[in-house]
Amino acid sequence: MHAISKIIAKHADRKTVEVGEIVNVTPDYVMLNDRGAARAADLLRNMGGDRICCPDQVVVVFDHHYPPIRQQDSISQKRTREWVKEQGITKFHAGEGIGHVIFPEKGYAFPGALIFGTDSHTVTNSAIGCLATGLGHSDIASYLALGYNWLRVPEVIRFDLHGEFKPGVCAKDIALRIAQLYGEDAAPYLGVEFSGPLTGKLPMSERLVLCNMVIDFGAKTGYIQPDEITARFVAARAPDRKWIACTTDSDEDYGRIVDLDVSEIEPLVAIPHDLSDVRGASKLSSVRIDEAVFGTCTGGRIEDFRIAAAIMKGRKLAPHTRMMVNPGSREVYMQAMREGLIDTMMQAGAQVGITGCGPCSGCHQGMLAPAENSITNASRNFRGRFGSPEANIYVASSATVAASAIAGCIVSPADLMTHQLTH
Amino acid sequence: MHIKGRAWTFGRNINTDLIYPKMWFRPTYEPGEMASHLMVGIDEEFPKKVKRGDVIVGGQNFGCGSSREEAAAAMKEAGIGAVVAPSFGRIYTRNCINVGLPIVVSPGIDEHVTQGDEIEIDLAEGYIRNLRSGYEARLPPMAPESLRLIQDGGIANYTRRVLEERRKASGAALA
Repeated sequence: MHAISKIIAKHADRKTVEVGEIVNVTPDYVMLNDRGAARAADLLRNMGGDRICCPDQVVVVFDHHYPPIRQQDSISQKRTREWVKEQGITKFHAGEGIGHVIFPEKGYAFPGALIFGTDSHTVTNSAIGCLATGLGHSDIASYLALGYNWLRVPEVIRFDLHGEFKPGVCAKDIALRIAQLYGEDAAPYLGVEFSGPLTGKLPMSERLVLCNMVIDFGAKTGYIQPDEITARFVAARAPDRKWIACTTDSDEDYGRIVDLDVSEIEPLVAIPHDLSDVRGASKLSSVRIDEAVFGTCTGGRIEDFRIAAAIMKGRKLAPHTRMMVNPGSREVYMQAMREGLIDTMMQAGAQVGITGCGPCSGCHQGMLAPAENSITNASRNFRGRFGSPEANIYVASSATVAASAIAGCIVSPADLMTHQLTH
Repeated sequence: MHIKGRAWTFGRNINTDLIYPKMWFRPTYEPGEMASHLMVGIDEEFPKKVKRGDVIVGGQNFGCGSSREEAAAAMKEAGIGAVVAPSFGRIYTRNCINVGLPIVVSPGIDEHVTQGDEIEIDLAEGYIRNLRSGYEARLPPMAPESLRLIQDGGIANYTRRVLEERRKASGAALA
């Protein structure tokens, strides 16, 4: 069995499960964001449920619409606060950051865990060696009532990453390369495992980026086999947590194994409006950038700020370019302040806003006008995602976004970097 | 389950941002509200044009992206008979099953249907037919658990039933 199957079996109270089988599972944690909590509470009432089964397993995070800019959201958040109290939910994080950034930060994600969330990027957590996946609001409401959800056991595809990064290349470029090679449906309904010698060397921040992006290849969950790096990360975040990693029995447990040499990958950019339409950053200098959007659950971690500040230090944004920065969490924000990274980015001319999803949730500041071009270290270049449907969104790494904000057009970060990014 | 309706066709990789744009997100919805925004990311007039019983035929990876349940719930509310595509986004698939909307995988279907064609689907018999062109294909078998949820009208009905059974059981235990 694959480790993902074993995680499902464990949470279904079974010894074994088969790929394709549908079983009822009890997750370790369920994340409800502001929208998810409001909708799930509403749907739960319609289902005839009054008390939730499992307040200790529920984590409520306000990130998409927080702080609210519409009256309907402030009313809804007031109701959710009351509901959280009523239901005895103690794990409540409003304004502390994006759910997918704070879940690993606060130690809710751990090896062998099963995590559900009311958001597609819940898959981010799977970098820790757990099964993490997004569910709809009715799904979560049903869990809150009954204490379990149905889950189909996925086949798993493994990407064996090896080779050395060229200057300016990082995990985001690997994800874009996979989208380019295999499409937006590279892994429909599948588990996606990253393995190979390069994965073993990647720090947790880079692993989180890889697994964050698997939803945009159609996957159910990512997976990285827990190792020393994982153990150190979890020990620092949740020292009291007892966990046992699941392991995969053999190569027979994969539907497919793909070899990927990262040495040939250049800094890449997905152009509008398709994540699999990927070009080399150095070939897009004719694209003028109106706004850089920096942050989100893909690129809002402290390591992203370090990379950006290293590129932006002593430089100014191009006169026609603005940059919207939203740290992924309060912890990231405070650490970036302590290290002087916020100072560097603001000196360069960036707008640093609140923690949360930023323009990527469509509910924060920084919306684009028609025909404007934006480059972002978020995960999606869907039409209309940052405002006008006539605007263009280019998706790239943190380094490429910072470098392009300075240049005012899309450039390869290798051209602007004073020193090679270290991994 | 037997479905017959007029087809609306869409392309590949239609994401849920397009099916139900986030500007129409609400914490709670009035009856009919979600249906009034269905597909407006692609065609603002679509909610006026679509009729109950119509069938949506998409290209590969239909419903990819964001987990928003509104993408499935708005179709259910608009009375869409079924949504058919060669493949679907995973969370969208779950959401369709959970709201009781027949979701039908049919490889290559997007090449055999044009806008306005009359489509006939039988989930129990496992076939899809284009009544205009005469095209017919067998459907890959659907998991019985999924089919049952769709036939039951979705996960809300299932959950209500289980809660009711639990209440009866605990009532019996007390008596």
